[in-house]
Amino acid sequence: MNTVDEILDYAIDQEQQAADFYADLAGRAEKAGMKDILLDFAAEEQGHKQRLLAVKAGDHELTPEQEILDLKLSDYLVEIEAKENISYQDALIVAMKRERAAFQLYTDMAAKVPESHLKEVLEGLAREEARHKLFFESEYDERVLQDN
Amino acid sequence: MSLKDLLSPFYVWQRAFEKPYTSIRPIQERPGAAAYRGFHINISEQCIGCGTCHAICQNDAIDMVRVETFEGRNGDSGLRPRFDYGRCCWCALCVDMCPAGSLRMSNEYTWITSDPTEYHFTAGVEHTTWQENPLGYRRAEGYHLYPPKRIEMDMLAADKSVQSFDEVVTGYSEEQARLEADRCIECGICVATCPAHMDVPDYIRSIRDGDYEQGLQLMYRTNPFPATCGRICTRRCESVCPVGIQGEPIAIRWLKRFIVDQVAPQDYARILADQTGDSGRRIAVIGAGPGGLSAAYYLRKQGHAVTVFEAQETAGGMLRYGVPSYRLPDADLDKDINYIVSLGVDIRYNTRIGKDIGFDTLLQDFDAVFLSTGLSVPSSMRIHGEDHPRVLSGLQVLADVASGRDPGVGRKVAVIGGGNVAMDASRVSRRFGADVTILYRRRIADMPADDEEIHESQEEGCRIVTQAIPVEIIAADNPQQVSIKWGEAEMVQDPKGGRPRPVLQEDRMHVETYDCIISAIGQGSDLDFLTKEVQNQLAIEWGKFTPGEYQHTLLEKIFVGGDVANRVADAISAIEDGHHAARGIDRFLNPDAYSQNDQKVN
Repeated sequence: MNTVDEILDYAIDQEQQAADFYADLAGRAEKAGMKDILLDFAAEEQGHKQRLLAVKAGDHELTPEQEILDLKLSDYLVEIEAKENISYQDALIVAMKRERAAFQLYTDMAAKVPESHLKEVLEGLAREEARHKLFFESEYDERVLQDN
Repeated sequence: MSLKDLLSPFYVWQRAFEKPYTSIRPIQERPGAAAYRGFHINISEQCIGCGTCHAICQNDAIDMVRVETFEGRNGDSGLRPRFDYGRCCWCALCVDMCPAGSLRMSNEYTWITSDPTEYHFTAGVEHTTWQENPLGYRRAEGYHLYPPKRIEMDMLAADKSVQSFDEVVTGYSEEQARLEADRCIECGICVATCPAHMDVPDYIRSIRDGDYEQGLQLMYRTNPFPATCGRICTRRCESVCPVGIQGEPIAIRWLKRFIVDQVAPQDYARILADQTGDSGRRIAVIGAGPGGLSAAYYLRKQGHAVTVFEAQETAGGMLRYGVPSYRLPDADLDKDINYIVSLGVDIRYNTRIGKDIGFDTLLQDFDAVFLSTGLSVPSSMRIHGEDHPRVLSGLQVLADVASGRDPGVGRKVAVIGGGNVAMDASRVSRRFGADVTILYRRRIADMPADDEEIHESQEEGCRIVTQAIPVEIIAADNPQQVSIKWGEAEMVQDPKGGRPRPVLQEDRMHVETYDCIISAIGQGSDLDFLTKEVQNQLAIEWGKFTPGEYQHTLLEKIFVGGDVANRVADAISAIEDGHHAARGIDRFLNPDAYSQNDQKVN
């Protein structure tokens, strides 16, 4: 991956894979109400993909340089296996961990690239993922950690 | 007749050419005194429409009228005072009485108009020239027509309370209760806010009248758990009590408790005289908590046969297994439950639906099913090492104590969480002789626990460490102990709004060792007893049912309520859900018996 388009294609593919992942899990979900939640997650990822497609087409800018709140919840929560009987809490952990991994990947890639448009795009993608991570961490903070 | 008598009427004409003694309009302005009782000012944003001004006005000069702008606000009737200056005598009783402090008077006293209807106006809503007038009569600072402070409740001293599970609150004496009841201004704002819409002003009046039987009857109209709610209600009524705006709210909860405490359980049947016929319909209720038993009570009153299926060996749900006896003694909970059961409610204990009886069987055998299974599954912290045997669940600790078992917390305990379960797990641990540290991610102001519970926990010696985030559980050298790694948090404003969020500061970590760690960070539902087919047809969001009108679900026979179906998750909301569902079930079974305006007609 040496060009901006290649990087964006990769990122778009990752978002599609994430959407497929949640849609597949929704199809197998056993717990009451989980199917809808996971389909919501899939739709969220589809939204990310559409946003990146718009960026590639030049119709949209990546998240501009700004400080995105990092609640760091995904840093210390345990890894969760995405199984059929997954709970709400665990589904959120899975989602935030995936976003965190993507954020880390783009951040690492950007660090290895000299100053260039490509580097800016990678940093922009990292900010996108940080924003997605914040979404799921905020959900976790609101819904799971109500009494904590 | 003399000549003088004939001419005298013409003498007055000489006055026509003199300077007049009276003044013509506009009259010369002469300002009222600084504290003059002139025209009324109402700060309508501050007013809550309690109607106390209307009630106290001796001339019937104040009507309460609906003002759309203020409708739908919590603790606000949406009404505002409308003055009739054909009746007002400017005595200022309304100003002296106004609990919100919104009503005052300007020092303006002249108002000239040819339209007499203008002298009938809604102060603070309709434009007047004196609304912003800084002068005029105000109630003097500290002057109240009723005592602003509530009658203090006697409680066990903290050093005594931690030595036993005896009830901490001792209750009002008759004299105390009457004095407190005397403070009620009977505005009824509380009625709208109470989820069960209890008739608070009237049952408080029954204390003033010394008619406790009448008080009990009034309470049972909408709440069959008055002994319980008189002790542990979240009392949203008090949070909106107008007397609390410039003083302390009426102690509604303690007054409720006082009434129930005056009536012996053996007199309930005579006083309440509940009729239970036989409609020939059978209703299944799953869960013998406040929601399920409230539904059972009102369903029996409608003549339906009720069978309650309860997984535990006794009834009460979280009231029994989640609220320790120092807040709610078993005898008082049983007073409520026993009366409900006495109406012929059949409770099948130790019966778990989905295991002992299939849910489909219930659907086949009963005319309707009410689900009120509560939130019984403790949430997991999901941090490394959490499966350590010395990490206990707050719910389990409370259930052990309720069942007479020693939860084995040891002498040094950390409790994770800031809700009522965390506070009670802490206070229970104190009663077993432990030093208790509560670790909470946010600030005390953010704690979902009742303020009283937080205060009493601290009084009893529990140490609260705020902005402390548990990160890892670590095995200690002594297998009977466990260590916790926690980090300090900074509260950061969420750019999208909402309450500030705690963010871990990785350079400020602590490791501490305890005899046990009690996790009490929340609880969720267990809906696995429902068949997949049923689950897929019910609206479930984040583990909770989202019922429609009358707690009805998308499946015609199934109604839901209580913690598993509402956002609030407190006893009084569950009780109202049960009552509401009972009405819904009766309507479902007898649709022809209800008129269009929801009244039962036969």
